[in-house]
Amino acid sequence: MSISLRGVSKQFGEFAAIEHIDLEVPTGALMALLGPSGCGKTTLLRVIAGLETPDEGQVLFDGEDATLWPIGARKVGFVFQQYALFRHMTVFENIAFGLQVKRRSERPRAALIRKKVQDLLELVQLQATHDRYPAQLSGGQRQRVALARAMAIDPQVLLLDEPFGALDSQVRHELRRWLRRLHDELHFTSIIVTHDQQEAIEVADTVVVLNRGRIEQSGIPGEIYDRPSSAFVHRFLGQVNELPVEWRNHRGYVGPLLVSESAQEANAAQVALIRPHELEIGTPDAGWRASIVAIRVIGPIVRLDLCAEGQPIHEPLEAEISRERFEAEAFKLGQHVGVKFRRWQVYPKN
Amino acid sequence: MSRILLIAVALLFLGLFLAMPLLAVFAQAFSKGLAVYAAAISDPMALAAVQLTLWVAAIAVPLNLVFGVAASWAIAKFEFRGKSTLITLIDLPFAVSPVIAGLVFILIFGTHGWFGGYLRAHHMRVVFAVPGIVLATVFVSFPFIARELIPVMQTQGNDDEETALSLGATGWQTFWRVTLPNIRWGLLYGVLLCNARAMGEFGAVSVVSGHIRGLTNTLPLHVEILYNEYNYTAAFAVASLLALLALLTLAGKSVLEWRQPELRRVAGTRQDRTRRGHP
Repeated sequence: MSISLRGVSKQFGEFAAIEHIDLEVPTGALMALLGPSGCGKTTLLRVIAGLETPDEGQVLFDGEDATLWPIGARKVGFVFQQYALFRHMTVFENIAFGLQVKRRSERPRAALIRKKVQDLLELVQLQATHDRYPAQLSGGQRQRVALARAMAIDPQVLLLDEPFGALDSQVRHELRRWLRRLHDELHFTSIIVTHDQQEAIEVADTVVVLNRGRIEQSGIPGEIYDRPSSAFVHRFLGQVNELPVEWRNHRGYVGPLLVSESAQEANAAQVALIRPHELEIGTPDAGWRASIVAIRVIGPIVRLDLCAEGQPIHEPLEAEISRERFEAEAFKLGQHVGVKFRRWQVYPKN
Repeated sequence: MSRILLIAVALLFLGLFLAMPLLAVFAQAFSKGLAVYAAAISDPMALAAVQLTLWVAAIAVPLNLVFGVAASWAIAKFEFRGKSTLITLIDLPFAVSPVIAGLVFILIFGTHGWFGGYLRAHHMRVVFAVPGIVLATVFVSFPFIARELIPVMQTQGNDDEETALSLGATGWQTFWRVTLPNIRWGLLYGVLLCNARAMGEFGAVSVVSGHIRGLTNTLPLHVEILYNEYNYTAAFAVASLLALLALLTLAGKSVLEWRQPELRRVAGTRQDRTRRGHP
């Protein structure tokens, strides 16, 4: 099922959670809504689910106006960060819930329900736990039960609200890959809300970055990462070094380095953003002179903090190089190096 | 040393002010033997009082049950104007003296009260009759269930209900299959306390009852009448029934609390609810 949002707004008291959101989710897409807390991503998901009614705008399901449909009529599977498993029911009863509350005329026979639950348990690889209670399961298992329960009603759309946020990073990683495989097998339309850029990039076909209730940028993950449309997106998608740009005669400089040219003088303050891996470290005579003030080895990569001398920045620059390079060059604390920028982007400051 | 002293003080205080009076009730009740005790509590007037007390509780507790669940549901799960006023109002019966509660009903439903003329014209009695006793009891025992449920429902949030709705359950199905099982122990505890108060209330009921023997006398009022007639043994015999109710309530409460650790373990899914990200 495809979902379209047209000019959707929602306020909570004085606070505008989302403002004039237009969004197209094609059938079978796996879309991530990404943003910091308070950006409106959860509200947007809840509007799609029917858990909130928008103040303005329309929600269309397959072109049909679903704005006022109650949640039960939308056939959406909704998965919460905290699983929301029914504590007094076993895993089996949890998954069967959506089938057992159907009207008598629509309810499958008991044997069919049992078969369906068993199939779902197999799908989420939890066959052995059918008679356990949620309290007896691990976090990752609970979230898989929650997914199976949501899928029992054959939803057209799967909505996931920070589904892996409460799990430790290894389980999170496994579940993400598993979810991606599941999606590729079953092809339902899915929207996942997350504040973790890595999760969004890893799992989704399309990433929508939200900020203060508005869509900042949307696109395929690689494109968003490589060509952020604003300083906000650039900062949010990964580590950056932020350097002030100074304008002289239609030219923007960071220290002695020319970073931008423009026919008209920029009237607002601007910054150049450079990712740690876009810094090039060489001999002290090439580029900015800097000294290494911190070294952190993180598996295959090494992060270096560099203090630039005589340049318009006070915080250390963060650089990222491969472990091989680090070992080949044998960098040491306090060593003097030269720093160059391979790539940068200039934005208005805010 | 200071620990022993503290415990000793606490125990002494408990013994002096709680255990001793309780013992005294039973000692006095049985002081003239089992036969007198049995006669006192099987006296027709005593039986009538027991019956009335049971009736009143049987009406007041379910009323407060329905109201308590509705009010705490509204308070815990919805945002609306006047919510803090509602929370304050629920506590009113705790704050106000029961005598005043009784007088308020006289003022409203008494012969010279607001609805006095209307009631007289339609040959209905509220004050000095059973309806007045029920009203006064509902009033004083009103906060217990809501007070018990509000925090339970607040910590549980809306996720379970929203999940049930998203799975196609109706509002009723959600309530019976999801909400009620989630709050059952808190609810039971609230009902227990509400019932104890409903059966034991003296002040408010005394004002509206009119003390008509065999008709509008509840157990606590009957105890007072017997006592005022210097019929100490009978008074204490009937009082022992109330004391027994208190003991049973405490026992029930302990059983529920003893179940709590298990409950908390099952509620473990909720305990790691530290980083909920609703904007």
